[in-house]
Amino acid sequence: MLANAPRLMLVGRRLVQFVPVIVLATFVVFGLLKLVPGDLAATLAGEYATEERIAQIRESYGLNDPFLVQYGRWLWNAMQLDLSRSFQSNEPVLEQIMHRFPTTMLLVVGALLVSLVVGVPLGILAATNAGSRLDVAVTSLSSFGVALPNFWLAMILVATFSLSWGWFPATGAVRFGADPAGAIWHAVLPSIALAAGGIAEVVRQLRSALIEILSSQYVRTLYAKGLSPSAILWKHGLKNVAVTLLTVIGLLASRLLGGAVVIEAVFAIPGMGSMVVRAAIVKDFPVVQGVVFTMVILVIAINLVIDLLYTIVDPRVALK
Amino acid sequence: MRALRAWLGGNSAAVLALFFLVALFTLALMAPLIAPYVPTAQNLGNTLAEPSWQHWMGTDDLGRDVLSRLIHGAPASLFASLLAVGVATAIGVPVGLLAGFLGGWVDDAISRVIDTLLSFPGIVLAIGVTGALGIGLTNAMLAVGIVFAPGLARLMRAQTLVVKQELYVDASRCFGASLSRILLKHVMPNAVQPVIVQVTLLLAVALLAEASLSFLGLGVQPPQPSWGGMLARAYNYMELAPEQMYAPGIAILLTALAFNTLGEALRQALDPTRRRR
Amino acid sequence: MNAPIKLPSGRIDRRTFLALTGAAAMAGGEAKAQKRGGTLRLSAQSNPSSLDPQTGNSGSDHVILYPLYDSLVEWDYTTLQAKPGLAEKWAYPDPSTLVLTIRDGVTFHDGTKLDGAAVRYNLMRAMSHERSNIKSDLGTVAEITASGQTVTLKLKQPDSALPLILSDRAGMMSSPKAMEEHGRDYDRRAVGTGAMKLVSWADNERVVMVKNDSYWKKDRPLQDGMVFQIIPELPTGLRSVTAGQNDLVYYLVPQQKQLIDRARTLGSAVGPSLLCVHAYFNYGRAPLDNVKVRQALNYAVDREEFNKATHGGIAETTSTILPRAHWACATEYSGTFTYDPDRARKLLAEGGHPNGIDILGVGYAEQLQVQQQEVLIEQMRKAGIRLRWERYTGPPTPAAFFAEKKGDILLAPWTGRPDPSLTYQLVFGTGSYFNAGRGEGAPGLTEALLATRASDDLTVRKEAFRKLQKIVTENALHLPLLFRPELTAYSAKVKGYKPNLLGKPKFEDVWLEG
Repeated sequence: MLANAPRLMLVGRRLVQFVPVIVLATFVVFGLLKLVPGDLAATLAGEYATEERIAQIRESYGLNDPFLVQYGRWLWNAMQLDLSRSFQSNEPVLEQIMHRFPTTMLLVVGALLVSLVVGVPLGILAATNAGSRLDVAVTSLSSFGVALPNFWLAMILVATFSLSWGWFPATGAVRFGADPAGAIWHAVLPSIALAAGGIAEVVRQLRSALIEILSSQYVRTLYAKGLSPSAILWKHGLKNVAVTLLTVIGLLASRLLGGAVVIEAVFAIPGMGSMVVRAAIVKDFPVVQGVVFTMVILVIAINLVIDLLYTIVDPRVALK
Repeated sequence: MRALRAWLGGNSAAVLALFFLVALFTLALMAPLIAPYVPTAQNLGNTLAEPSWQHWMGTDDLGRDVLSRLIHGAPASLFASLLAVGVATAIGVPVGLLAGFLGGWVDDAISRVIDTLLSFPGIVLAIGVTGALGIGLTNAMLAVGIVFAPGLARLMRAQTLVVKQELYVDASRCFGASLSRILLKHVMPNAVQPVIVQVTLLLAVALLAEASLSFLGLGVQPPQPSWGGMLARAYNYMELAPEQMYAPGIAILLTALAFNTLGEALRQALDPTRRRR
Repeated sequence: MNAPIKLPSGRIDRRTFLALTGAAAMAGGEAKAQKRGGTLRLSAQSNPSSLDPQTGNSGSDHVILYPLYDSLVEWDYTTLQAKPGLAEKWAYPDPSTLVLTIRDGVTFHDGTKLDGAAVRYNLMRAMSHERSNIKSDLGTVAEITASGQTVTLKLKQPDSALPLILSDRAGMMSSPKAMEEHGRDYDRRAVGTGAMKLVSWADNERVVMVKNDSYWKKDRPLQDGMVFQIIPELPTGLRSVTAGQNDLVYYLVPQQKQLIDRARTLGSAVGPSLLCVHAYFNYGRAPLDNVKVRQALNYAVDREEFNKATHGGIAETTSTILPRAHWACATEYSGTFTYDPDRARKLLAEGGHPNGIDILGVGYAEQLQVQQQEVLIEQMRKAGIRLRWERYTGPPTPAAFFAEKKGDILLAPWTGRPDPSLTYQLVFGTGSYFNAGRGEGAPGLTEALLATRASDDLTVRKEAFRKLQKIVTENALHLPLLFRPELTAYSAKVKGYKPNLLGKPKFEDVWLEG
């Protein structure tokens, strides 16, 4: 039932799209890092550098090869799922990503959950009471949420809940696999800080979508037939709510992934964001490329899942 | 006054936001005249002082007047937002216009690139680019501008596709007008309204991005004051002087809020469905 | 005696330091009070560059390497004089021969035995391996022979610095078998003889270790394991201890002393260190090829005020690269450069810059470094020096100055080396990487450097160092500011921590209560 023809075509389209996007994204990033001045070999030699050692590093990492050769080498290995090793520390990039991916995902998923759990009821409340004082309050609150610098909120949360009251840890992360409860406990404050913008986005989108539905001719007819507002909302609004929410989730996933970089810095969380920033700064290409690779796959996968869900929620979409 | 209010769709919040922004720009332009102290003047004998009559917002870790640094931080933040959004517009609008108008393989290629760039978390890209280009406000905001460009291009493209179908475009094409004339005289003016709204909203996003980058030490370089940079320093002294982190944060919040409120009001004012009514 | 070690504020002179570590040593001597067990969780500021002592490139690696590796020679915590380690004893039968006797019955973590041949393998690899970063440390060694537990080093020239060099990276012994087996991967394996065995290392996240049950030192290790959590931001690192996620954080900056004292649950130790906060000069080109300008910069800085603003006033200000407590320090030069902006202006005018001068500095973008840069801008401005900073993040910062030759000065700490001759050699030596101009900074410098390694008699060496420092000071070859005290903070259950003069903490005597 799930594997009908339009859906398979959708999956196929996404997969075909995947290869050029990966190549384009990694090539752009690689070129960008390559064009920039700065001697990677000298950076890698560090405090014990000598001229001889720097020359030797340049040779052994193939930094003397032409640009396209270097990129080609990386791509060839990546296609065989070998993301090579960090220039800085020699750790296999795939291993590094596997370590950090769950930490960042926990943050992002946590923030997404907070956004939905807080945002959906507020959005429904605002829409069903459109124009009321409650609506104004919720809408203004969401305006604040959008304008709130999330790292500032993070600082305030740390000052209050960690340093003053000691309820939550101020720093760090625990791997979910090692200690799920500890991992969640560590992720609470960062997720909340990250979710501020998300909540606002959910409220805004949901409210405007619902108001549109509730003011449609069709719903007015239902009113006229004597159905209660909550019944109308439950029976006819929800399907549309689901479509709106799917769109918002897709939008937020990418945005939260980006916001996580700054939040990871505030809480000293060893996640993907801090990893890519550090690697970009020292021009550790294999790591940067590896993260770009992973993030692009992730975003495409999320979009694919959302597209598939659209077809389930609203079969008409699939037919288009 | 009434005209202004009417133009903003009778939205008094938007009027308030507009006034706030005008005041902020004035403040930014006249910062040296208004600020009570030189923002970089240190007084190592009076560090992390609490608010007093001499220093209304206290002093920072090097004994500098926080209020003066806050005032002098405004131009940096506003300039940063304008620069980033300017870069985004300069790249995004022409690209979107061309893609939408020319169609065919040009459109396909451009759309593919836009999709790719949009599939990557923007701020990560901006940070990476800044780290690589070299630390500093201009580089940081160039990077943010580049990151915003694809979004604007996509919007412009969609608008152009709609306008392209209009009769007057076809007509001028029949009269043999040049491509650049058609684009500039006929397509642009009619497609640009939603872009203006989007640009206003982007100003807020750019402001937040600037603050984030300065917080990470990649944006405005000390001793030049910036709101994000002040927060970064305040974070280091959070236990000793927690009050240091409030003023810069509130400044960022209010400014971003003002840009957003104005943008939303413009969206409503320019909404064609509303105007028709 | 378990009370946290606290110092009166003000700089640490030699006497207070001796009194301090003496007290700590007594505390450590109470063997009965020591408890075993528990995992020591530490907050470390930087990811190790490698866990192979020979390929690593950062001075901050040592703290993480010490538990994993023993070195041939160890040093005394207070004086930094050499004492036996894996080498039971050593001797110079003639000035160009060094004979080491290796301790019997020590095994590596992989079960192989430490013998003369293993030591020879390690030293040869340090001298010749293509990825070795310490070739120059053993530059005077001509030939190495081993038989049984004896290793003989034939030298190209007399070198009395070798014993202490063997207390550093070059003396840390790895299992030859493991190095051959893993090749490049050995960077991440670390098979030494140390008190701790490596369990895992996740980059920029944590290094996990577990105790070595067959360790050769009696009554050690005291802990069941150690975990180094990598937290780059020091305020965040300290917060991790305050909030209980870690037990100990080291390499704190002195401003944080106030915070530690306010949090009553924390103990702290302030020790001296060789870590010199200074600015390197590129004297290979204008304007700093001019000695008057270099001197002007030195007189333009108010070191006491700098200390107060950026180091809570507890650092030792200096005009030399060695602290007063060090055996080789020529103390008569420790206070040469007093704050004198008028003199700085005069020197600038004499040097051909009557209207002041523009100086471009290279520095780190990290907050606490930026704060130091800002203080220097303001101080130098008063002497007519217009200082500007170009900033980088992390390792590219020194690379920009030393390799790409950006800027005139670089504000970055020098972490020090166990033997002072290496410090001078690396920072000022002709052709050294850390001498951005690469040329000889002043006539007679190379000769004076060689003289510091010619004899193994301490009084003779001390005199040689005095002559060398005289040249460095008179030519103002860098801008020494102060020695950052090694500040460590720990939770109440951490006992027995002692600072050392090198300023790179060791935790072998630390135990956990409760």
